[in-house]
Amino acid sequence: MKVAITALEYYLPQSVEDNAALAVDNPDWPMAAIEKKTGIKSRHVAAAEETAADMAVSAAEKLFAGGVDKETVDFVILVTQSPDYALPTSACLVQDRLGLKKNCMAFDVNLGCSGFVYGLGLGGSMIESGLASGGLVVCSETYTKYIDPHDRTCRPVFGDGAAAVVLAASSRDALGPFEMGSDGSGGGSLMVADSGARRGEAPASQPVLFMDGAKVLMFTMDKVPQCMEAVLQKSEKTLDDIDYFIFHQASRLVVDNIVRRMDLPEEKVFRNYENIGNTVSAALPVALKDAVAAKKISDGDLVMLVGFGVGYSWGACLVEWGGGP
Amino acid sequence: MADMGDKEVIDIITEALEVEEGTVTAETTAEDLEKWDSLGHLSILVALDKGFDGKVAAIAEMVTANSVLKILNLLRDRGLI
Repeated sequence: MKVAITALEYYLPQSVEDNAALAVDNPDWPMAAIEKKTGIKSRHVAAAEETAADMAVSAAEKLFAGGVDKETVDFVILVTQSPDYALPTSACLVQDRLGLKKNCMAFDVNLGCSGFVYGLGLGGSMIESGLASGGLVVCSETYTKYIDPHDRTCRPVFGDGAAAVVLAASSRDALGPFEMGSDGSGGGSLMVADSGARRGEAPASQPVLFMDGAKVLMFTMDKVPQCMEAVLQKSEKTLDDIDYFIFHQASRLVVDNIVRRMDLPEEKVFRNYENIGNTVSAALPVALKDAVAAKKISDGDLVMLVGFGVGYSWGACLVEWGGGP
Repeated sequence: MADMGDKEVIDIITEALEVEEGTVTAETTAEDLEKWDSLGHLSILVALDKGFDGKVAAIAEMVTANSVLKILNLLRDRGLI
């Protein structure tokens, strides 16, 4: 696609929860063994009154503070599975709070860990088709609000965060190709039951996240390499042609196994889950920003972004980084 | 992937669980070993996938295989041992 990412910012909530705090609440947890598997030492947690829309606004405001012209924003795609309300659409609230023009399209995308890649695909297609000239893809999640403090699978892994990117028409083929897919047969493996219209007889007062860690791990080990191979095939490139890989920051275990399955050199793989955790759809753009800041990615580099998880849903794409529109 | 049999699979599980040699036998179940909890099972899945060159990730039933016997049977059914 002749579309480029021209700006990228993120926001993490102020409150940081480390593993020592988790151990205080759960003295029976084998914290050292958990940390060895997850690679996560701390995560940011949204305040009780702080929502995904709040964090989306905070991330996007950094873009405007950096010089992005609000008039160029023809759409806001808000990727979130923790919207402020069942309705109205959180993206519309974000459009208003950011003071964006009223002929700006705004909609939510209910996807998790694959959501950033989907957002890039959707936004890029809107620009390429002429529906828009540019816009924002914002990923914002407060999964911690769904987590039982005694859930050993979920609490050590997930954190909250938001990231926002500007997509703009480009003279370069700077985005794509894409490979995306879905397998709803895995829906129950990562789920907040009793959170929508399909409620049980005794719906939970507070929606609670459930994750079958083993099933999700098997899904990632099986599907992610296939997804990456498909992108390489579509782009007629090999792994050696890719300068850098950014994976969804699920956990050390998951990233380790993708690296192993794909036989990737560690120096071409970015990891920043240690003090951020898994921020679902925000994890990829947050990692991308940190990788650029750490000078792991330079202008002109070809980067593969790979997201995967809840749904099941997955997506990968290539991005030619930097260089302006 | 070298020639794999029951002994090699038991060795893989032993190493994955970080227990002493001889602790895991063909009769061992998850209930028998403290280290074979949910985290331990993740280690087993990863170690088997590694040992069988990525052929284990597609065996969905492996997720609930809570005994050495079940694991061996799944691998045998697929002609991996």
